[in-house]
Amino acid sequence: MAPQTPILDKFLGSVAELVQSRDGGKLQDFLQIEPPLSEIYQRMIEELRQRYQPGPRSDAELQQRCETLVPRTKGSSSWSAFPTFMRLYFSFLRDVNVENLLETYNMLRALLNQCVLALGDSQNGVVVLPTVLYLSKVLAKLAMGLDRQPELIAHILRMEGGADREDNAEKVTLVEQSANVVREAFIKCLTDRSGTPGPNGKPEGKRMGIYLMANLCLKLLFKCGKLRNAEQMFASISAQSPPLMHFPASQRVTYLYYLGRYLFANNLFYPAHIALQAAYEQCHRQAFKQRNLILTYLIPCNIIMGRFPSKALLQRPEAQGLAEQFEPLCRLIVRGDYLAFREYLSYESQQGQWFARKGILLTLRNRCEILVWRSFCRKVFIHGGFLGDPQAQGARGPPPFLYLHKLLVATNWLQTRSKMSLTNGTNHAPYTSAFGSQIISHPTDPDYIGLKDRLNISTNGTNDDHKLMEKYGDYLAPTAFFDEGGYLENNASGELIDGVPDSDYSDYSLDPYAEENILESQSALLMGELESILASLLTQGLIRGYLTHRNPRFAIPGARLRGALPTGFPNVWETIGTRESEDDSVPGWVKPAPAMLGGSALAGIGGRVVNLSGARPVGLQ
Amino acid sequence: MSNSTDKTNPAEQPQQKPQVLEEDDEFEDFPVEDWSQEDAEQSAANGGNEHLWEESWDDDDAAEDFSKQLKEELKKVEAST
Repeated sequence: MAPQTPILDKFLGSVAELVQSRDGGKLQDFLQIEPPLSEIYQRMIEELRQRYQPGPRSDAELQQRCETLVPRTKGSSSWSAFPTFMRLYFSFLRDVNVENLLETYNMLRALLNQCVLALGDSQNGVVVLPTVLYLSKVLAKLAMGLDRQPELIAHILRMEGGADREDNAEKVTLVEQSANVVREAFIKCLTDRSGTPGPNGKPEGKRMGIYLMANLCLKLLFKCGKLRNAEQMFASISAQSPPLMHFPASQRVTYLYYLGRYLFANNLFYPAHIALQAAYEQCHRQAFKQRNLILTYLIPCNIIMGRFPSKALLQRPEAQGLAEQFEPLCRLIVRGDYLAFREYLSYESQQGQWFARKGILLTLRNRCEILVWRSFCRKVFIHGGFLGDPQAQGARGPPPFLYLHKLLVATNWLQTRSKMSLTNGTNHAPYTSAFGSQIISHPTDPDYIGLKDRLNISTNGTNDDHKLMEKYGDYLAPTAFFDEGGYLENNASGELIDGVPDSDYSDYSLDPYAEENILESQSALLMGELESILASLLTQGLIRGYLTHRNPRFAIPGARLRGALPTGFPNVWETIGTRESEDDSVPGWVKPAPAMLGGSALAGIGGRVVNLSGARPVGLQ
Repeated sequence: MSNSTDKTNPAEQPQQKPQVLEEDDEFEDFPVEDWSQEDAEQSAANGGNEHLWEESWDDDDAAEDFSKQLKEELKKVEAST
């Protein structure tokens, strides 16, 4: 006779009751999987091992017992995915070997997959929603732990991929795999059609889980660096989710944090700052760690748009550790020293490492340097520009202007200054790189190292020729070669087979950098770069006026009323904020439809979000 | 590919527990599900009304070291031309 299973029987009975009463929370509480399991579970596992030893026949028997868990309506099982899930759950308890994390991960993923299938049921799916969330979290934790152990990952990837799988196939990490399962659950929640779906609906039924699943999925996508995959999620949320405000604060704050970071990563700083600011304002004031993380992205977001964190903000307890990173950055922007700025944000610097770990280093580098240049130009203008004649009456007299020559001198001074600080005070000339940018000096690419000696070619040409022949003689002067007709020609005398450059090519210039006066051309190069920077500032609205190219100047017309500085160098935040606030909607953040639009008005357009803020009644001008 | 990984059987390795997810970069779950907006706001006594952002930061202090040096440098050019 088969062994008795009193605990399992009781367990199944309770599960059946919970399904009937649709108590999803309690059901999840019953379906424990994480060790250490309490004694009663250990005893049930013992029963399972004795009564249902692994094998197709016992699986079928176990399945049969699980079939009774769901109500049979009109003869057919109404929710077939659930019994299968329960059978997998029991198999998981019985077979899992937590010593083997990979196997555990795979079993758990299969279990979650089946649970997500059960979630898909339009009537009963909602009962397993808490269980889906629970299993997803355990899976996420396991996957993130495993991805930190590359030697174990290599093993599973090889097992799964087989021998034919080459390196060119994109490897999917376990974290990304888990994100994909969680996304399935998210879609099931989002597309629940019961009650009032869409942006006018309330979080009811499975829709209660939209942001729980979305947040977990986003966490995993951020973890595996596949932010791009989140784009579709945000689009679906925009199209189908009830307004975010109807969800609990913890879900709102977490979601707005990830949304803000996603927008930040896509260089959409204005909407990102709205989302992150809202996350900060709605976050529990004692949740220091979360508030700290939100500030870690809210602050750079604002700095990029010309708004610096105040002392008061940086002194808040949750801002711990942020002041020492961001305050020097702000000071460098104000000062206008682009070289010190670059040094601060170099990967080698301590702060550079910190910014890199937070994933904001490159964004700060790329977006803040223009602000540094604005400050620098402004200072050069103050101390070296023509600020306008306050005595001049009427509109006569030239507008305030700055000779760019002064900017060039000041840039050279900065370069000298920076070199001096690097070499402990020894005086240095400004950069004299013969090629490329005059603004910054790059270490020479090893391939072009020979170019450094360009100025000396004529004086020690023969020496260079020797070196060249030593290295490339077999190519330039081989002992034999094929001529144009394809005949072999001997070249015993070792002539240069393509001819002698100086005599045979004297009519052509082979030197792309052939310029007469190297020093003059260098300052012309630098001037060209400075003009580009100013033009960039102009097109971004960060300075106002016009540039002249011949006799290079930056002029600030119309400054009589407000003065040269406020006119020529308008406030950065006002400029960017005014421009961006024309559209203050945040993609991915569903807000309630305006009150004037009833539910019926939206029903006709399939629940899509349409921005009607600019709409006017028909017939009005 | 190196076959060093082939030889290592995960089962034979000393078992490492997966690290707990407590890196400071992780946005942790909140201990409570919901709270009121009052619980989120800084109380007035705790600096709830202070301004958080500096929008005007342009430095017009000519006495500041960098500005002073820059001014000197630009004066030199003026003198030489």
